Amino acid sequence: MVTNLKNYTATFINWFHSETSIAPLVVFRIIFGLMMFVSTLRFLLKGWVDLLFIQPTNFFHYYGFEWVKPLGEIGMYTVFGLLLISALFIALGLFYRWATILYFLLFTYVELIDITNYLNHYYFISLVAFLLCLLPAHRSLSVDVWRKPSLELSKIPNWILGLLKFQLGIVYFFAGIAKLNCDWLFKAMPMSIWLQAKAHWPIVGSLFTEQWIAYSFSFLGCIFDLTIVFFLLSKKWRIPAYIVLVVFHTITGIMFPIGMFPWIMILATLIFFSPDFHQKIIIFIQSRLKLKVRESIEYNSLFLHGFKKKVLTGFLLTYVLFQLLFPFRCLLYPGQLFWTEQGYRFSWRVMLMEKAGTAFFYVTDPLTGNRGEVDNSQFLSPTQEKMMATQPDLILQYAHIIKREVESRGLQNPIINAQVYVTLNGSRSKLFIDPEINLAIVDDSFEHKDWILEN
Amino acid sequence: MGFSIMTRFILSFFALGLLLLVNSCCTKPPIDEVDYNDLFVNIADNIIVPRYAEFQTELEELTESLDAYNGSDLSLEILQNQFKVTYHTWQKVSIFEFGPAAEYSALLRSNCNTFPTNSSKIEENITSTVYNLDFPSNYEAKGFPALDYLLFHTNAIDLHIELENENRLVYLRDCITDMQNRIEGVVIAWDSYRTTFIGAVGNDQNSSLSLFFNQYLYDYEKLKRDKFALPAGFATQFGIPLNADVTLVEAPYSHLSLDLMITNLESLEAIYLGVGEDGIDRVGIFEKLKEYNAQSTVVEGDLAEAIKEQFVICKAEISNFENDLATEIETNIDALQNASSELQKMVPMLKNDMRSYLSVTVTLTDSDGD
Repeated sequence: MVTNLKNYTATFINWFHSETSIAPLVVFRIIFGLMMFVSTLRFLLKGWVDLLFIQPTNFFHYYGFEWVKPLGEIGMYTVFGLLLISALFIALGLFYRWATILYFLLFTYVELIDITNYLNHYYFISLVAFLLCLLPAHRSLSVDVWRKPSLELSKIPNWILGLLKFQLGIVYFFAGIAKLNCDWLFKAMPMSIWLQAKAHWPIVGSLFTEQWIAYSFSFLGCIFDLTIVFFLLSKKWRIPAYIVLVVFHTITGIMFPIGMFPWIMILATLIFFSPDFHQKIIIFIQSRLKLKVRESIEYNSLFLHGFKKKVLTGFLLTYVLFQLLFPFRCLLYPGQLFWTEQGYRFSWRVMLMEKAGTAFFYVTDPLTGNRGEVDNSQFLSPTQEKMMATQPDLILQYAHIIKREVESRGLQNPIINAQVYVTLNGSRSKLFIDPEINLAIVDDSFEHKDWILEN
Repeated sequence: MGFSIMTRFILSFFALGLLLLVNSCCTKPPIDEVDYNDLFVNIADNIIVPRYAEFQTELEELTESLDAYNGSDLSLEILQNQFKVTYHTWQKVSIFEFGPAAEYSALLRSNCNTFPTNSSKIEENITSTVYNLDFPSNYEAKGFPALDYLLFHTNAIDLHIELENENRLVYLRDCITDMQNRIEGVVIAWDSYRTTFIGAVGNDQNSSLSLFFNQYLYDYEKLKRDKFALPAGFATQFGIPLNADVTLVEAPYSHLSLDLMITNLESLEAIYLGVGEDGIDRVGIFEKLKEYNAQSTVVEGDLAEAIKEQFVICKAEISNFENDLATEIETNIDALQNASSELQKMVPMLKNDMRSYLSVTVTLTDSDGD
């Protein structure tokens, strides 16, 4: 048994460092750069820069990132301009290292401005951009190589592609694990609600009101998420699995307002295909662009020794462990996860619940006893209000926003209460937090928020 | 080759993860087939179109009674009464601020009912005779609140004297004509918009359900805050609790505040129940919620019934007051507080539960979800 494990580990380490073609990595880089270019352009054209970063007067921060502030109109458009340029540079492999670092920093900065914009796929993009900063994805078929031919590589160690596949696999697998809950599997919730909303569709519309369809969608979605990555890894099943994946993402992309995510995943998962396949793509690109192909490449190796190897192994282990464990941090909190959302973010809980809230905030002047209901629209955008009303940490942040606003207008030490009603997955909505508690004197932390009421 | 070594490695870890997470279980909600088309057709043909027509007719009558004003008490009384009738018909159309009514050329809500009105600006406009009622800066000097001021701010004798001033009559006429022009544009546009409205099924941010629902909610929240909580001192301005301020009530000079509120509530109730202007009860939101077997929030039980009941309670609370809102604020604040909390109870039922069941996109902001 012990020897078995040893052999297993040895084989794995061997695989980890042995070499494979750089082609899949290069194609991944080009796809990523182009997709990010398109996504950023779409974001700009939809007017979201203005709507999300310029118009709002208050912003919700990530814990510990309160210092991240939007840059104003000129600043924000400059940031998005730079995002466009750096995405293009990544695709071209031009000043690659700088371009990826810039893209990663700016993209992450934009995401950190307002937590109400949080999407799992933005987190995914931040992570991939971070990984690309470290990976040699520009060392073939790139402007950098054209400028400095000695950079060219034909082989890279297996761990590089393994890491990217791992990152993609994590997204699917954890999304699958998250679906293993009673509402999703045994009540077809919120799938029934979502499908019902599409009941007006021609032909298939009437099917969407059928319970068995809702159950099928729920179960198939769950099974797909849990297993797809393993089928993609298997040579035998790869092509049928990829076809299923394309169908799955296309359907979800059409049915749900999830933006670029499905299309990014469809293209990103091409990395699971063989080096030969990617080599063909590269040859195709080269012939279409009439690029000169250099005959011989001097052999470069990324193989590391000694200390560097240890650092690398340590880093990778940490990263992988973090990715594996972080989504489980919700287990450290008491209460129902979907209700309290403590440890909910950064865990690939994608399209999982239908939650809506109504939040009434009241300010009381401690001196006069005057009490009044806050008009949320005076401080928040509709999207911010919607997101805030179902998430305890944001409810608390909003109370502090109100406190700041009120104090800046001369009312000191206001008492701030909130009456919040939340409905989850179509269940009768209930009082969400303790309406008696003075939120103005509660500080946020990673500790359990005991003022959240039981569902 | 089958599964690679990496696959096996990952698989073994995740087998663990799987075992960690399976929860407990319950019952399923029954779902019937729903046709929104019937709802929209009913709302368009039996509610929106006839209400706009009624509003338009009453405005015409208002012009006629202004033309017929001859300085006699009777003609003033007729004019004042026609104003009241017309203001009531406005309360029935304020909710429809989407499609044609939300076009820049119409913007009915701002143009017809921005209150409190600014009497000094009105007097300024009348004196200078140079004004453009199309400017947003004149929102507070036009529409019903301006008419309310001009026709009721003092006793009949003084009004007669004031109305001898031709400029004042012209201003009254301009205010009415402005509304007439706007509603005329809206009515014409609805001819073709009807098809769009009925056809825009679904629940995204441009669907009729979403447009309609969001305005329904907005109208209700305006009623609750602007018409009630704000003057009664139950609201805040930028977070600062406000004192009661009777000058903020709707129609302060004609003392119609609570009557108008009831009409506003009734009109929202009729839409909810699907009762047309002809009095016939057809498909409404009520029927949809019934079909979903929706469960309610603040009040336990069936959501469809709970909202219906809450409308009745709210109307009763408001009807109980004997005087107009300004007087009640000064004399009867506790009863107002009760009424306020009843009005409040409706919000989560509409904003949470109804929205959830109908799966309405919450805002008009079109952003991605995940």
